[in-house]
Amino acid sequence: MLVATYDLWGFVSENWQELLDGLIRTLKVSAFAIVGASAIGIVLGAARAHRVPVVSQFTAVYVEIIRNTPILVQIFMIFYGLPQLGVTLEPFTVAWISVMIWGGAFNSENFRAGFEAVPYRYREAALALGFGPRSTFLNVTFPIGTRIALPSSINTYISIVKNTSLMYVIGYSELTTTALNISNLTLETPEALTVLAIAYLALVWSLSWVIRLLESHLALPERS
Amino acid sequence: MPDWVQPVVDYILTEGLPNTLRVAAVAVTGSAIVGLLFGTLLTIRFLPLRALLRLYIEVFRGLPILVTVFIVYFGLPTISPSLRFEALTATAIALILWGSAQVAEATRGAVQSIPREQHEAASALGFGWVGRHAFVILPQAVRRLLPPFVSLLANIIQNTTLAQVIGGLELLEAAERQNERLTAPPPIGLGEIHSFAIFGFVAAVFFVLSFPLTRLAAYLEKRLVV
Repeated sequence: MLVATYDLWGFVSENWQELLDGLIRTLKVSAFAIVGASAIGIVLGAARAHRVPVVSQFTAVYVEIIRNTPILVQIFMIFYGLPQLGVTLEPFTVAWISVMIWGGAFNSENFRAGFEAVPYRYREAALALGFGPRSTFLNVTFPIGTRIALPSSINTYISIVKNTSLMYVIGYSELTTTALNISNLTLETPEALTVLAIAYLALVWSLSWVIRLLESHLALPERS
Repeated sequence: MPDWVQPVVDYILTEGLPNTLRVAAVAVTGSAIVGLLFGTLLTIRFLPLRALLRLYIEVFRGLPILVTVFIVYFGLPTISPSLRFEALTATAIALILWGSAQVAEATRGAVQSIPREQHEAASALGFGWVGRHAFVILPQAVRRLLPPFVSLLANIIQNTTLAQVIGGLELLEAAERQNERLTAPPPIGLGEIHSFAIFGFVAAVFFVLSFPLTRLAAYLEKRLVV
């Protein structure tokens, strides 16, 4: 029987270049998805908060479908299902698009709640001052609403980062896939899992620390 | 309906669905028991215990669940061969680690929201710490825990699909096997691709399971606030 010796330092020093590339790919997929999910969330969240016909109903259906089906099934639909309809995407594109669609649904709920929490009298005041509906949104509802939605949307971004690990199933070599592929060759499974745990916890914990920092910095005066 | 449909649907619903429900039932029960216990213990002012429970909660809420699945399935056996679990069991264990951390965090909040007078009254009636929590505090806290608990159930049902990654036969893996069978060239399969319909069907099954639960959670939440 092979007696495995735990050598975390050896594992990292021999494979740091590959692991770093994996981490960078995780961050790249997350960044693309977070930017996209913010755009989706703001547009659809605003549409729902203002009850824009058609778009509101579409958003409600989109949110319920994404929330009530496993993200892994969504990834399978995009990776295995879409090519059947003639849409074949590269693993990288599948990676960021699938987490973006997932995060966008949660974000449109976050931003809807944020925009709806802006007191109605603020909007009335803006309208009374002669702002049109668009400039009322851009100058009043948007800046205040996004601040209210910030903590919950960052929670969604944290989940986006964590969900990029699911790209293991499509073989896209982000951090999880990279670490496990190395350990399949070298049998250093405990070391690979330790690296994964440390890397993800560092990412997630620092993001939640940012939430707490932002919460105190961006808290609206009348809410603190 | 085309001929290929019936066997695929049968296989997914008879081989996959029961395992999905079984893993979800075990995971949600385990999460509730461990989570309620840890969450209640977290309200005790004893620093080392609190630090330990905090660490447990932050670690398992912070890790992607897939990584926890890998730790249980690939990592634990390297520590001791007796910790080797079958794929579905490993998934259930990973989901309990994650779910109990969620429940513990919610329980702490719910227990602390019960007014101090309730503790004092129970003490005055002669209850000890255990009796006070088991018979007076937790029954009241559970009411507040109901909405997050129902959403957790929906989340756990969806996350049982992680078993597919390590080959556990649940809904998604059953669908994947049928998908491969149909795609294989004629002697084995049909040489036809029906991925979109097959995975779409799996998505629909999950939607039917999950939608009533998320609606119920929203309803309970609203009733609680009013």
